[in-house]
Amino acid sequence: MTDLSLGGRTRVDRDRLLHLLQNYGVHLGVAVLLLVNIAITPHFLSAENFRTQAVQVAPVLVVALGMALAIGSEGVDLSVGSVMALSTSLLSLYLGYGMWIALLIAVLGGVAVGVTNGALVAFIGVQPIVATLALMVAGRGLAQVLLPQLKDVRDPTMASLGSGDLLGVPYLVLIAVALALLVAFVVRRTTFGRQLLAIGDSRPAAKLAGLPVRRVLILVYVCSGALAAIAGVLATARLTASDPTSLGNLMELSAITAVVVGGTPLSGGRVRVGGTVAGAVLIQLLTATLIKHDLPPSWTQIAQAVVIILAVYAARERGRR
Amino acid sequence: MKPNIFLRRTSGRSGRASASTLLAVGLAASLALTATGCAKSEDDDADSGDSTSASEGDAGQVVSSPGAGAETCVIGDYGAEKLDLKTATVGFSQSEKEANPFRIAETASIKAEAGKRGVKLLTANAQSQFSKQISDVQDLIAKGADLLVIAPLNSDGWEPVLRQAKAKHIPIVTIDRKINAAACKDYVSFIGSDFVEQGRRAADRMIEATGGKGELAILLGAAGNNVTTDRTKGFQEQLKKKAPDLKVVFKQTGEFAREKGQQVTEQLIQSKPGIDGIYAENDEMGLGAVGALKGAGKKAGDVKIVTIDGTKNAVRGIVDGWIDGVIESNPRFGPLAFQTLDTFTKGGKVAQDIVIKDSAYTKDNAKSDLGKAY
Amino acid sequence: MPSTTGHDTRPVMGAAVLSVRGLSKTFPGVHALDGVDFTAHAGEVHALIGENGAGKSTLIKVLTGVYRPDPAATPGTGVITYDGSEVEFTTPLAAQHAGISTIYQEVNLVPLMSVARNLFLGREPRGRLGLIDFRRMHREAEQALRDLGVRVDVRRPLRELGVGAQQMVALARAVAVDARVVIMDEPTSSLEPREVATLFGVIRMLRARGVAVIYVSHRLDELYEVCDTVTVLRDGTSVHSGPIAELDRLRLVSLMLGREVGDVRDEGLTNFSGNHDTEAQPILEAQELTVHHQLRGVSLAIRPGEVVGLGGLLGSGRSETAKAIAGALPPDSGRVVVAGAAVRTGSTPAAIRAGVSLLPEDRKAEGIVPGLSVRENIALAALPGLSRFGLVDEARIDRVVDTFMKRLRIKASGPHQRVGELSGGNQQKVLLARWLAMNPKVLLLDEPTRGIDVGAKAEVQKLIDELADDGLGVLLISSDVEELIEGSDRVVVLKDGAVVEELTGDAVTEDRLLRAIAAAPATTADPRTRGGDDD
Repeated sequence: MTDLSLGGRTRVDRDRLLHLLQNYGVHLGVAVLLLVNIAITPHFLSAENFRTQAVQVAPVLVVALGMALAIGSEGVDLSVGSVMALSTSLLSLYLGYGMWIALLIAVLGGVAVGVTNGALVAFIGVQPIVATLALMVAGRGLAQVLLPQLKDVRDPTMASLGSGDLLGVPYLVLIAVALALLVAFVVRRTTFGRQLLAIGDSRPAAKLAGLPVRRVLILVYVCSGALAAIAGVLATARLTASDPTSLGNLMELSAITAVVVGGTPLSGGRVRVGGTVAGAVLIQLLTATLIKHDLPPSWTQIAQAVVIILAVYAARERGRR
Repeated sequence: MKPNIFLRRTSGRSGRASASTLLAVGLAASLALTATGCAKSEDDDADSGDSTSASEGDAGQVVSSPGAGAETCVIGDYGAEKLDLKTATVGFSQSEKEANPFRIAETASIKAEAGKRGVKLLTANAQSQFSKQISDVQDLIAKGADLLVIAPLNSDGWEPVLRQAKAKHIPIVTIDRKINAAACKDYVSFIGSDFVEQGRRAADRMIEATGGKGELAILLGAAGNNVTTDRTKGFQEQLKKKAPDLKVVFKQTGEFAREKGQQVTEQLIQSKPGIDGIYAENDEMGLGAVGALKGAGKKAGDVKIVTIDGTKNAVRGIVDGWIDGVIESNPRFGPLAFQTLDTFTKGGKVAQDIVIKDSAYTKDNAKSDLGKAY
Repeated sequence: MPSTTGHDTRPVMGAAVLSVRGLSKTFPGVHALDGVDFTAHAGEVHALIGENGAGKSTLIKVLTGVYRPDPAATPGTGVITYDGSEVEFTTPLAAQHAGISTIYQEVNLVPLMSVARNLFLGREPRGRLGLIDFRRMHREAEQALRDLGVRVDVRRPLRELGVGAQQMVALARAVAVDARVVIMDEPTSSLEPREVATLFGVIRMLRARGVAVIYVSHRLDELYEVCDTVTVLRDGTSVHSGPIAELDRLRLVSLMLGREVGDVRDEGLTNFSGNHDTEAQPILEAQELTVHHQLRGVSLAIRPGEVVGLGGLLGSGRSETAKAIAGALPPDSGRVVVAGAAVRTGSTPAAIRAGVSLLPEDRKAEGIVPGLSVRENIALAALPGLSRFGLVDEARIDRVVDTFMKRLRIKASGPHQRVGELSGGNQQKVLLARWLAMNPKVLLLDEPTRGIDVGAKAEVQKLIDELADDGLGVLLISSDVEELIEGSDRVVVLKDGAVVEELTGDAVTEDRLLRAIAAAPATTADPRTRGGDDD
């Protein structure tokens, strides 16, 4: 029963502080890493450096946005890395028609995978982790069938997408920021966003409240697939090559990490877009710091593990309240 | 290469999972049909002139340390019987999916040589799953292979297959990786490159390009891989011996992938703008490094790059002036493998360890030898 | 179980087994317990009552080692005395080992494990080699449950059982371990009358054995039936302690509420039903609804402004009827007609569009969306109507939410408080608001007052009455016979998934209802309706 719900003043204040720390811990982490790097890393405080970090994080962030939606619906999308590979294959295959058509087809490929994921989850009732695992395998396989090995991209529009900028801000970063804002808007302001959260929090309640559960779930995976496909295009543009064998490898883990570190609970019902952005940036900065100081690669993995554990610990505290 | 390990995870799951796999495969098939039906790649025409088949040019391998003093093997010692290669059936087991230039060239070379000699060839691909490779080889034996050429995925775990082959007196030649067993007893010969030597030669190239002084970065291959270990070892040993003024100040993994190589190099040139040279343990990472340097506004030649493998893209990088040297790791095992088998089955002596001579590409020969690159 | 129900042995009260004096427990900002005195004696059934927030749960959690009491301000207070000596339970396990066994309101067993494994969890009979002797475990589990009048396949996972049967498993588990103190937190909230009788039998048996039973319940009848003494908690302190026979009901309620007798009469204990118009054309007709194993041709009609009660035992198909009408349970055959038009069955959205809304029995799992705010919960179903081109219209939502929070007197810190933090009664009001925002024609209320405190219960009952007055058709399901009789204009009685009688007018009495339930040939242990059915 709810003896605790009688809130006293002090408790509320302490709660608030704890709450703030849990919710904005990831932002704090980013700030701390920035300060540490400014202090100890040579040449860190340069526009060039920030540009590099932003450009590198852009594809991860775009994937993580879709992942945040999937996780918010109490699911997960393991197929994102494979969708990136599929996207790069399709892009390469259709680049002869010009970038825009190729881009459209690449995104359609992501949408198709999303529809399949969503249908498996919503209609057949396969657990998201299993359904998307199947597509993770099938998607990568298909990508390699379509394009058996790395192929250079020479299209000038693609090249400028990958390395061009607007007033000093790289296109990739602009696109990632625009997508983050779009997803934040969708989550906050649309019926789809609200319904997604309700479904993620309590599927039976959402069902009994008459929400279009299946439609929303399919749309969630379509969004995730499309965003992953866009990320595939961005990564291809940056590399100026289509590499379906290694592009997006382990991307699902990076994306899940960014989402979880950003404070979106794996149990669904919440999507924190700002947190996800900060989570992706945090991991990027962490990796950059360790690489710049030439620490052994295994350290990077250990550091990431520590961050994840801290995030999960914070989430546990949140859950308890 | 990597993602195939996940195939194993889904098999043998619940009915639902397999239903979903079916669905996924259905989707895959339909997508594949539509995708290839009207695809138009940006350089469908331009590329075709480039793609050289494995048999073209003098692509075949040359033995670097021919028999002198090395241990050899004759058919009597091995316990097999003489036969005529022309009428024999050869089984070839490839370890990884032909998704990278090295594997593509390797398989193509074996096939081409078999075709040239008119030998019946059975092939199998283990898709990076060791258990599959074991059953692949057993299948090949069951299908009547008289001789086996194996590109092993692992060095260990071959006992069951070797026993089976032994019982049927089937000679085995392993290529590109060794297996842990007794040569001339469990298998006939190993044909492959010396990765440590490749590292040494890369160091030589780097010393030459930098003048033996300055700061270097190494883009390591995937962790825990013997290729990575050997290429690093050879490079650093040689550096220590010949150019103590060349310092390695940065060692990070690029996982043998272009994207990772690019990302790591980007971090590198920001934190160490004065870097003089980058040694990439394969071509792909080297090409990633080139991309990063271009993106940072550097000019060709500002940072010396030496890579290993000898793919077409890397050799083209030399022509363009971005790469200073490519040490070849020749994948064209076909001619040497069949020649070894031919000699052996006729009763001749063959070396137990046949180390091939890898060539190298520099400014001097890159343009003329571009056709030889794979 | 030895039958003790025949000879009501009421032994002389034994020594104090478990007692606390001046016990306090503070959470940041809240005095959950503020100097509570409480003593349970051997061979006594001790009622612990109080409204929500009075501190019952906290006291139990302190007694069972879940919480640690505050350090004492003065020596000799704030400590737990167990069996004559001061103790400090650091974990629930420590309390269990000491002999304090607890049955919680919400069953805390492992749903995926078999019934037998749950019963013997942590003390499985071992055979040779230290392996679990499953044969013996299953045999003993079956025996233990049969003693409690429950016949189930003990090899099945626990979650396949109904809530009532699960509760009995929890009870069997508590009884099986040798406990000196058994604490029961609302044990009857999901039991049917037959099971309640069994439970009381067990309680009397425990009392005869000299066990101290601490009994927490909202149901006054039960307290008077089974308890010897009572302690009333209010606002974290104990306001009364003594033999229950010395208090009449009204006095007990006024102690709990801390109000004068007159107030209570006004709010809580009076009839909440007016007599509504029962002449109009039905707004909803369910025709021959049949669901394999669950419903056999159920037909009923609801008129606008009418409260139709749905009576029957646990497992008689009451919840299933409501779910089938609301589209949440696809019927094999049968029709649902609303305002003259047939509604597509098996589709919740279709039913909602037609104006039929269901307040589900399991409020926490199927009703509220706990992580979302009061505001989002209220707006949830009406969202498409409160949006334009897929974008939500925040201003309109604010207006709707404000209207209903006021009209239903929802107590929350504000519209943005998470619903999961509200009390049961307020959660129920939020759900009502969610449906009222849709302008429904018919409300299906499945146990709307279960597990909410007396004050809130009266309020919800009053609301139901008002809604009917406003012309809504209401279907009311309640295990509380009193509530059902007083709240309904008509009562449709179900048994084994079929309608057996319809009580109208003067016939709507407790007496007639019980007789109607008892009238049909009593087939005990019908395998179809037992166990798997979670009515």
